[in-house]
Amino acid sequence: MALKALDIYKLLPKKNCKECGDPTCLTFAMKLAGGKADVDLCPHLDEQAKAVLGASTRPPIRLVKIGIGERSFAIGEEFVLYRHEKTFYHPPGIFFKVSDTQTMEEVSAVTKRVRDESFIRVGSDLRCNGIALENSSGTKEMFAAAVATVEKAADLPLVLISEKTESLFAALVHCGTYRPLLHAATKENFKEMCALAKHHDCPLVIKARGLEQLAQLAKECALEGVQDLVMDSSPQSLGEFITASTAIRQLAITRAMPDLGYPVFLDATGSDIQDAAIALGIVKYASVIVTAPLSEASAKAALTLRQNIYTDPQKPIQMNPGLYRVGTPGKDAPVLMTVNFSLTFFTLQGYLESTRIPCFMLVVDTEGLSVLTSVAAGKLNETLVRDALIRFGVENEVAHKKLIIPGYAAPLSGRIEEMTGWKVLVGPRDAAEIGEYLEQEWKK
Amino acid sequence: MGSDIRFGWTGAIGSVILGATRSEGGTRKISYRVGGGTTLPFLDHAPASSPLVALEICDEPQYWPQIVRNYCGDLVDDVSAWATTAETVYGADLIRLYLTSTRQRNFSDIPLVGKAVEEVLSATGLPLIIEGSNEPGIDSEVFQKCGEAGEGERLLLGTAEAGRYRSIAAAALAYNHSIIAQSPIDINLAKQLNILLREIGIQQDHIMIDPYTGTLGYGFEYSYSAMERIRFSALKGDADLAMPMICSAIDSLTIKEVREADTAYQDEMAVAWEFYAGLAAAVAGAEIICVRHPKTVGRLKKAFTSLKTGSDPTGRI
Ligand code: SF4
Repeated sequence: MALKALDIYKLLPKKNCKECGDPTCLTFAMKLAGGKADVDLCPHLDEQAKAVLGASTRPPIRLVKIGIGERSFAIGEEFVLYRHEKTFYHPPGIFFKVSDTQTMEEVSAVTKRVRDESFIRVGSDLRCNGIALENSSGTKEMFAAAVATVEKAADLPLVLISEKTESLFAALVHCGTYRPLLHAATKENFKEMCALAKHHDCPLVIKARGLEQLAQLAKECALEGVQDLVMDSSPQSLGEFITASTAIRQLAITRAMPDLGYPVFLDATGSDIQDAAIALGIVKYASVIVTAPLSEASAKAALTLRQNIYTDPQKPIQMNPGLYRVGTPGKDAPVLMTVNFSLTFFTLQGYLESTRIPCFMLVVDTEGLSVLTSVAAGKLNETLVRDALIRFGVENEVAHKKLIIPGYAAPLSGRIEEMTGWKVLVGPRDAAEIGEYLEQEWKK
Repeated sequence: MGSDIRFGWTGAIGSVILGATRSEGGTRKISYRVGGGTTLPFLDHAPASSPLVALEICDEPQYWPQIVRNYCGDLVDDVSAWATTAETVYGADLIRLYLTSTRQRNFSDIPLVGKAVEEVLSATGLPLIIEGSNEPGIDSEVFQKCGEAGEGERLLLGTAEAGRYRSIAAAALAYNHSIIAQSPIDINLAKQLNILLREIGIQQDHIMIDPYTGTLGYGFEYSYSAMERIRFSALKGDADLAMPMICSAIDSLTIKEVREADTAYQDEMAVAWEFYAGLAAAVAGAEIICVRHPKTVGRLKKAFTSLKTGSDPTGRI
């Protein structure tokens, strides 16, 4: 049950001491009510108030930080089942798995890949996030040596995978202060695991089959003093994963089972189609995804999907009409007219960039309709084009009066010429052919 | 309290029948009932059909991504052989034939269109999706011809849009085919188009929604949410959106990331791009996923099989 701000306020110390970072207890209460603050920020709360408030005011899914330094990141603190209801905030971390039975060269090489590889798309740097090291040898010596190798190569967030607390203990000697994620506490070993996690202030994965069992384990770990938890339902198929992950998200955000309010862990290496598990994890609420080192193709596709799913869906589908530049076009650069449907725009822009011919894109306001649809509906017409040419001062930018229009707008070419006085050149229908078109028609 | 995740929905996705076997009046080896879901994809209790995978082919390969020719070789010059291979080697559930021949300047050889449809029908026993012309001027004749050539086969004809649906609707009505209704990534426009189609007599069980799929990295985020919203509205009871969806991220093989990939792994990049978008689209609610790279077909089918098994709708696993 969520509490109202006023009910929360009644439980606060009313000192208005500002130590929580808020100016008054009341504003702090309002934040708590909105799930935007953590009760722990107020140092003056008595235990009873904490217990009451803790369960009902913290964000429905706990924020958990993994790693320290530049590449560290946070997961959790999500509020919705569908991204269109608000947005998804914290993209899942993707970890390449290595084993302590591999050679040090191999371990080091994978670590360096994650350290160095990045891929730039629409202005952001896309990268995988860290290394998941598995204690396949079963010995603490080999595990510790492998951790030391990883640490020597890079300061990356880590997942340490071992059922043996002694192995984790040995590994934590090397990386215990860097907030690695420990995998995993089970019904059998959770007390020792919690002690380790608590001692090093590390986040901890809990693993159980069945949601009630996971919730129970989470509760027990919290009682041991470890709250930075991540949940592994150890699915046996992709179908089990999507069912469990959807249930966890739904039951957590509605607070029907608050003990499930932690981010979700997915080991994609367990699937015989790893790409499917990764894609599914990205769209269906996984926060930590462990995979075998990915090929360049899989990595790019996975990172692009992650970027797509975690962009704010409120971003409009229509571009602002205007004159856009590709490269640094000069006075003799071509001017290409297109519509303000953002997909059309981005597709054309992509092809234009790869032609390496600097040019202008004149984006006219078809209210987000594609070329074909806007021509058919009469939205795209000569008046619209004339007004855009004037409004965006295209004549001041170029020393010619030639306008390239999309192939599907060909029926309008005569009328555009008459109304604007510009010479109209009909470009290809398919944006993919624009490079060839410019080479042949514009350059001659 | 249990970990039950029934959402209390009352609506259900309608279904559309594609293809007709001999006993159903056609010549297909198999027919499909697409749709019928009552909750989010893959959470279904009942074994509602897995999403289907369609391989897209065309009758005039000069308008097709080069990467497909590189992979398939001369096969792409013989539409019949291409269709047969799609079924027997690539393992597609459906074939989507694009009549790209109609894109040639001043195309007027309408009988050629009928011939292409007939050839593909005899080359494969799979149900067909036919993409007609891209030129409003010849729409009427082209769709009429396709409809006639596939009479009795329960084709899926594409693609109707808001300003351009009459010819295709007429052909569908005359020969009892279904149609693809495409709107530019907008739930309201999708709904409006479905209403327009209903008003001219197309039954709801003859419509598939195409919410328009932007390729991964090129608008896919919009398409993904449009699909989720359409599915969600249908489950909440909006009958004008309760049709199954079809998705085709057709630019996947021509975007920069794929085109400029090193030739040594260009196929892999193409498949990854189609696969990630296709899987995500199916999770958002698409029932037919169309792809162009033959290797994507098997991967998607395998993934859908794994998604369908072992799930228990109560969330207890
Ligand atoms: S720290 Fe506690 S007592 Fe102080 S202002 Fe904040 S809520 Fe009030």
